[in-house]
Amino acid sequence: MNGGRVLRFPPRAMPPEEIEISADRILALPPAERIEGADAIKLEQPELLLSVCGRLHERLDTSPATVRDDAEHLYGFLRVPARPIGLFDEREYFLGELALIAGTACRHLSRREEARLWFDRAEGPFLHTVSATADLSRLAYQRLALRMEERQLDAVLEMAPPLEESFQKLSMPVDALKVRFLEAIALTEGERLTEASEIYRRICTQAESLGAERLAAAAYGNLTHIYGMQGDAARAIEASRQAIPVLKRLDDRIALAKVQWGLAGMLRETGQLAAALESYRAAQEQFEQIGMRADVAALHLVIADLLLDLGEEATARQAVLEALPVIQELQMVPEGMAALQLLRESLREERIDRPALRELHGYFPEAN
Amino acid sequence: MPITSPARDDEAREVFLRLQGVIRSTLVSYYLLTPEEADGAEEDLLPWFLRLARRSGASPMPPKALRLALLSAACQYGRSLQMWKLGGRRSTDPRLDDVLSREPEEFAVDLQMRLDEELP
Repeated sequence: MNGGRVLRFPPRAMPPEEIEISADRILALPPAERIEGADAIKLEQPELLLSVCGRLHERLDTSPATVRDDAEHLYGFLRVPARPIGLFDEREYFLGELALIAGTACRHLSRREEARLWFDRAEGPFLHTVSATADLSRLAYQRLALRMEERQLDAVLEMAPPLEESFQKLSMPVDALKVRFLEAIALTEGERLTEASEIYRRICTQAESLGAERLAAAAYGNLTHIYGMQGDAARAIEASRQAIPVLKRLDDRIALAKVQWGLAGMLRETGQLAAALESYRAAQEQFEQIGMRADVAALHLVIADLLLDLGEEATARQAVLEALPVIQELQMVPEGMAALQLLRESLREERIDRPALRELHGYFPEAN
Repeated sequence: MPITSPARDDEAREVFLRLQGVIRSTLVSYYLLTPEEADGAEEDLLPWFLRLARRSGASPMPPKALRLALLSAACQYGRSLQMWKLGGRRSTDPRLDDVLSREPEEFAVDLQMRLDEELP
């Protein structure tokens, strides 16, 4: 003691470059080795955890399956036994953030019940951070995105404006734009394409002015899809040219696969069926590589529909057969169960009930 | 790609420097910490605050929110240390008792409002 002050021996602060190298090294280790060597790699250092969380955020759109596993592992490491992490609210922050990351990755992977569980896990710790309002608003955004993926269009259109306003009040303009993005997806799904494209164009301009290039590129990607649906090839190609180089540089494999899907739609709308088929299959392969099984299944149905146009019924049946178990397993279309049943029955008779097929793939959010 | 952002760091350091005087006077005058204890508090608060500014999120934390978070943390620090020193007893200073009876976040909001009034 010294005049009432407890003498501290703070750990040597790691230089930023060393922290980043350590973060990459930690994430490259198999989870079991991370636990065993936790002391040696100083896994409890808040500087390091902050970097690791940043890395996981960056990789969400590249390898969601790996990010989910990493976030789950680190969350478990921090939670039990209850390790003291950093100062003030840092333990709560990291628990909330890792749960939010794991939930977001599950959402990308269409593991929706699991995503909901992770979002619930994030809520408790986030209530106790000094930035609770901002953190809980980010959580609300993820929950709204999950509703979008469940095609709760009315709920999204109702809840998006107040959440956007909340982000505006918090001076979080990029997050506010992300909410508008969800609104545009809901409008697209509701076939209000003109309104949706208007919002996307505004997002592109504002995101570029804020330096949010990933968001701008994703909006251009979705414009590709809308213009494709409208058969406007010139604008679709121009939008894809704005999106693709940035997404490639950022290695945003999810958005790239979606742009590919959008281009395929454009090719189909303009009557280039063989090229469309190739493009859909390329998008499907990309989703397969990322582990996005729901999108792979949805594309099987779209491809089956196109194959019927091309007169290839046997191949179309095969595509539908590959999709059905995944749709069933992931419970992807609760509202489309009747169509699913009709489709299954028609396959037993070695034919495809085309209205049922179209109804069913209409339940999937396309390329958004 | 580097995760650390020099721009966010610089902005946070600037906020910290601007509030350092308020933090010190809050800790010494309201929470009755010694100058040495206040030095220690500042040493702890700065790295935490720099990390706070770098937390995840599409948008960086705005300066006003950063200021409030820092004031809250400072008040929490002062209150915890003083209560620990008192060891569960009431102090002999009614003003200190009054300060300690308030939630640090609430006290920080008052400080922030006063700061806002002083700003041009």
